[in-house]
Amino acid sequence: MDKQRDFVLRTIEERGVKFVRLWFTDVVGTLKSVALAPAEVEGAFSEGVGIDGSAIEGLTRASEADVLAHPDPTTFQILPWRGEVDPTARMFCDITTPDGQPAVADPRNVLKRTLAKAADRGFTFYTHPEIEFYLLKSSKLKDGVPVPVDSAGYFDNVPGGTAHDFRRRSVRMLEDLGISVEFSHHEAGPGQNEIDLRYADALTTADNIMTFRTVIKEVAIEQGVYATFMPKPFSAHPGSGMHTHVSLFEGDTNAFFDAGGQYQLSQIGRQFVAGLLTHAPEITAVTNQFVNSYKRLWGGDEAPSYVTWGHNNRSALVRVPLYKPGKGQSARVEYRGIDSAANPYLSFSLMLAAGLKGIEEGYELPPEADSDVFDMTSAERRALGYQALPSSLDRALLIMEESELVAETLGEQVFNYVLLNKRREWAGYRAQVTPFELEANLEAL
Amino acid sequence: MLPLFSRAADPDQALRHLVTLREKDPAATDALLGDTDAARRLIEVLGASEGLAVFLHRHPGETVVLAEPIVGPASEADYRERLVGVVDGLGGEAARNALRIAYRRELTRLAAWDLDQAEPIDAVARVAAALADLAAAALDAAIAIARADSRFPSDEVAATRLAIVGMGKSGARELNYLSDVDVIFVGGGDGIPDGRAIEIATRLAVDTMHAIQELAVEPPLWEVDANLRPEGKDGALVRTLESHLAYYDRWAKSWEFQALLKARAMAGDRELGERFVAGVAPKVWAASSREGFVESVQRMRERVLQHIPHDEVELQLKLGPGGLRDVEFTIQLLQLVHGQVDPEIRQRGTLDALVALADRGYIGRVEAAEFARDYRFLRLIEHRLQLARLRRTHLMPRGEAEQRALARGTRIATTADGLLEAWREVQQKVRSLHERLFYRPLLSAVAALPEDGYALTSAQAEARLAAIGFHDPRGALHHIAALTGGVSRRAAIQRTLLPVMLQWFADGADPDYGLLAFRRLSDDLGEAYWFLRMLRDSSGAAQRLTHVLASSRFAGVLFERFPEAAAWLENDAELRPRGLDELLEETEATLARHAGDVDAAAAALRTARRREVLRLALAGIVGLIEIEELGVALSAITTAILSGALRLAHRWGDEVEFGIVAMGRYGGAELGFGSDADIIYVYRPAGCEPEVAQKRAEQIVHEIKRLTEDLRLPLDLDLGLRPEGRNGVIVRSLDSYRAYYQRWSLTWEAQALLRARGIAGDAGLLADFERMADELRYPAAIGGDAIREVKRIKARVESERLPQGADPSRHLKLGRGSLSDVEWLVQLLQLEHAHAIPELRTTSTLDALAAAVEADLVSEADAARLRAAWIIASRARSAMTLWTAKTADVLPADRRALEGVARLMEYPPHSATRLDEDYLRTTRIARQVFERLFYGSRLT
Repeated sequence: MDKQRDFVLRTIEERGVKFVRLWFTDVVGTLKSVALAPAEVEGAFSEGVGIDGSAIEGLTRASEADVLAHPDPTTFQILPWRGEVDPTARMFCDITTPDGQPAVADPRNVLKRTLAKAADRGFTFYTHPEIEFYLLKSSKLKDGVPVPVDSAGYFDNVPGGTAHDFRRRSVRMLEDLGISVEFSHHEAGPGQNEIDLRYADALTTADNIMTFRTVIKEVAIEQGVYATFMPKPFSAHPGSGMHTHVSLFEGDTNAFFDAGGQYQLSQIGRQFVAGLLTHAPEITAVTNQFVNSYKRLWGGDEAPSYVTWGHNNRSALVRVPLYKPGKGQSARVEYRGIDSAANPYLSFSLMLAAGLKGIEEGYELPPEADSDVFDMTSAERRALGYQALPSSLDRALLIMEESELVAETLGEQVFNYVLLNKRREWAGYRAQVTPFELEANLEAL
Repeated sequence: MLPLFSRAADPDQALRHLVTLREKDPAATDALLGDTDAARRLIEVLGASEGLAVFLHRHPGETVVLAEPIVGPASEADYRERLVGVVDGLGGEAARNALRIAYRRELTRLAAWDLDQAEPIDAVARVAAALADLAAAALDAAIAIARADSRFPSDEVAATRLAIVGMGKSGARELNYLSDVDVIFVGGGDGIPDGRAIEIATRLAVDTMHAIQELAVEPPLWEVDANLRPEGKDGALVRTLESHLAYYDRWAKSWEFQALLKARAMAGDRELGERFVAGVAPKVWAASSREGFVESVQRMRERVLQHIPHDEVELQLKLGPGGLRDVEFTIQLLQLVHGQVDPEIRQRGTLDALVALADRGYIGRVEAAEFARDYRFLRLIEHRLQLARLRRTHLMPRGEAEQRALARGTRIATTADGLLEAWREVQQKVRSLHERLFYRPLLSAVAALPEDGYALTSAQAEARLAAIGFHDPRGALHHIAALTGGVSRRAAIQRTLLPVMLQWFADGADPDYGLLAFRRLSDDLGEAYWFLRMLRDSSGAAQRLTHVLASSRFAGVLFERFPEAAAWLENDAELRPRGLDELLEETEATLARHAGDVDAAAAALRTARRREVLRLALAGIVGLIEIEELGVALSAITTAILSGALRLAHRWGDEVEFGIVAMGRYGGAELGFGSDADIIYVYRPAGCEPEVAQKRAEQIVHEIKRLTEDLRLPLDLDLGLRPEGRNGVIVRSLDSYRAYYQRWSLTWEAQALLRARGIAGDAGLLADFERMADELRYPAAIGGDAIREVKRIKARVESERLPQGADPSRHLKLGRGSLSDVEWLVQLLQLEHAHAIPELRTTSTLDALAAAVEADLVSEADAARLRAAWIIASRARSAMTLWTAKTADVLPADRRALEGVARLMEYPPHSATRLDEDYLRTTRIARQVFERLFYGSRLT
């Protein structure tokens, strides 16, 4: 018998685990969970667990109405927030069709496939996200807007606990789950926080992001507050982005590093960035998948609205940081478009695919943007050839619809589904009469 | 001394090297030549091995190893002592040279013993084991050099553990004279942290490999190949035991487990190595229960076969058909299938495994002994081949002189031809090995086969059937019993054939149905001489038959009515579609034969139709016919039966002219299996009153329907495209058509007529009908209103005609970018331009599309995308009907069905997902083209 499986089964018994949660992610990026009794776990290892795929976003195709979830024993963890009263554990799953082929609509599989493509060219893909989110007093609105836990950007007024509690609790829990983090309090918005996950291969990072979101939500509940990853909950404050540092490795060598290159960025690195920039408008409907995402992208506050790159330019879509001398292994570029509500599996897949395309086709990197793109006039931007990211979900979908890169990377089924699902969201949004209109028009007209 | 040279594989070479040797060191050489036994050994070595001769030229003093009688290969411990001993106290290049000289000294001694055997074939196993031991000793000596030379602090080096695990042939202790030595390095710390220990162990491992294979004065020995390690070339060279085990738990692929079958603690730290072997062993055997395990192992072998360069296949001792790899593969497969429940057969060595498999009753003792001998035979040739130049090769030399030396060196024959003949014989036997060892015993579970003297249990047989892909192994075993039971000639022949055929069925998409259908066919054909002869003598036809039956229920069902069709599989000419003229001639002959008996004639026509459809189905399944040709051929078959039925229904003197006009895909000669035939009927009074003529025409229509009705292979005559559709009369006079079209002149009617093609009936009437149709379908000018109307109807049809809940992206006819999109676009172009461009006047979609490209109405790139979508949708539709024997318009969601359809579309196995993605991509892109060209650019 498999040693890892044995370990899981033994731990379940020794620790008196009452439930085992099988985790997987739907196309939208929502974590799904199926609970098993301990007695069912052994069977789940050998045969997988049949789940009703039609109840899951993106798996609605008839052929996948009956899919199997195969728990990965190496991801077994006791969930720390349930306490010792009713110990609960979790494992991530791979989804397959009944005949054992990976389910095309499993986002984890989309990323695995894209990583395999990169591996065929000798590359491994590493990512390091900086995740921003807001802590609110609750999910209830006051006067039509959410209420942050603090008003000054300091962490001193959390009901039912202290600022330190939230921070300590989250870090502790994440570490219990094997995820080490850097926690920093973001001062830009009231109640806004930022946590950096450590550099890891993209699949591990994506798994970690899913775990991370759950942990943050759970700790918030424990502390009597509410955490949201919504891209732009306040019109007056900055949105929650997920700036992601990425790099490619060839074996043990960082392929982005070249001591002699501009900003020590190698030819491969330049082509990768060129790929990201060229295809950025196409992938935006995935990296910024909600109507609300575009309120962040176009809300100012250093949001990367234009397709540019720069070195120390905080308004650029791609930033090339300088690292300490002798730290060539940490060469990386930062993609600043993606937001905290994105599906990390699909977003990483597309970022990687766009970059690889740049390498394959040998794209030329355009000149660097060295001043704030926002301060320019639109004629200036046109003169310099700075394209804008889509201004709304609708426009993003129109662009993505024509993209072979996105279709090929996501696979036809996921591609279809994203378009369908997001068009529905747009239609729902368009049907709204917003407070803005009422305020502006009701009395005036 | 002359007789001694007769012992040499190549006496000329022996003499030449002897002369050189004597020039270099007369004393040493003469000393040996003075002793007949020693001289014989020397001459045998020099005559068989250029490589060792060159070594002795470099170090003439080493000839002394041949002075004393050699009683046999040394023990593993002796080899180690001798090789590790010579490097003691040495370092750097001196140590490397000493190691290599000592290795070659022992190799010379071993070769001398081997070459001196009267029956060297019997010594193959001992030689192979000794070579593995010698390699292990060399690795131990190399580790000793690496440790002595290490620049790390000596206490830390001493606290670093390093084990070398032998894989492949070195693991199995059946090494060749010169092959790569496959190894995995395992490291660990004894009192120092693992991280530090791995750092040091990695350096030690690299230096160990260098000691063996880097350049020095004395040439390198062989390659140490560590690429079987976790993650292959990209993985860490040395890992801890825990890290290895974690990898195998989590990441390893099937072939890696297969490689682990032979893992053995070979050199370095034995205790650590043995813990590695003990740790991975349970995983190997758990792996064989994983889904798709056997399959992936088989796929691996397919890949191996494909990679042999074409001009080498004939010369390959190892990888070619009937080569060593065939023996090794079959034995490993049997171990994997049965070893899970029976630890007794988990042997590393090929020969040991053969013995164990026979002992435990999984294969016959006779076979086991036979194949053990064949295996040794091939290995012996390989040994001599490699010994000759101490080069890693598995290719039979082309030159006659070299072949002759090989013949003499192996003592298999005395001439080149003799050797080749014996080799071919062994190849022949080994080629059937897989079948004889894996499949044939399946029969023993259900039928007493006295010659085998052993029998598998039902459970063992079922395990094998399940492993190769049967979903209902018990049912399959019943069929095997029925097919092979009894004393009939048929049963006897099938006992011989079935093992091979089972292998082929297992390769098919639906092995269970294939076997069942074969059983039915065999019951139907009984003792038919030709059938048994075909199966026995024509393996191509038998293989095709299994392929057809395991691929297509449609063909299976038709075979039940027409089993004789199996005979066509022998002959491609029989599978060619028959042309319309030929079919019509047969129709004529049938009518003449049954003159006076309408029902008998109609029955004969229906039989002919089934027969011809089956012919096309077979041609389609074995890949002899393209989809476009299929459409034409199926349309011709439909025309043949309709012509016949019309002749029966429409007699001289009924005072009407009558015609059948094909419409829709039938009009375009684009029918697929299971397609409806769209038609309309037309008549013209010829002497009788209009009312009477209408009555008579209706009678003809009813009669045609009655005569062509076939429950077995339905012919659905669809009249839905007639004026007024389902509400209209079933047949009209030409005048009535004309009046109708003049009165209503609807664009969609004109559009339907684009595909109208008279196919049977009175020629004058059909010509007049088409002339009338031309005026409507190729209008001199068409108004903007009419064009808008066509587009609007299409838009509405898209949403309305699609069945409730159907996924538009998977509907082959009405779905996104599928058949109807392409057809509507082409038809729109025809309505607009066919008047001016006569080339557009065709009922065929693809021909019209090509004409539109010629006329610059559509770009070549756009046309290619549309054509691709039309073809993939048409092919999928036909394949779906072949697979299930039912017609459906939605790409199946069920995985097995999708797999079956994919295979019929000539995808490789396991392509269900690929077909899905290909179909969706092709049609999505076609839809983009369609929307742009048909609806116009998007309005934003």
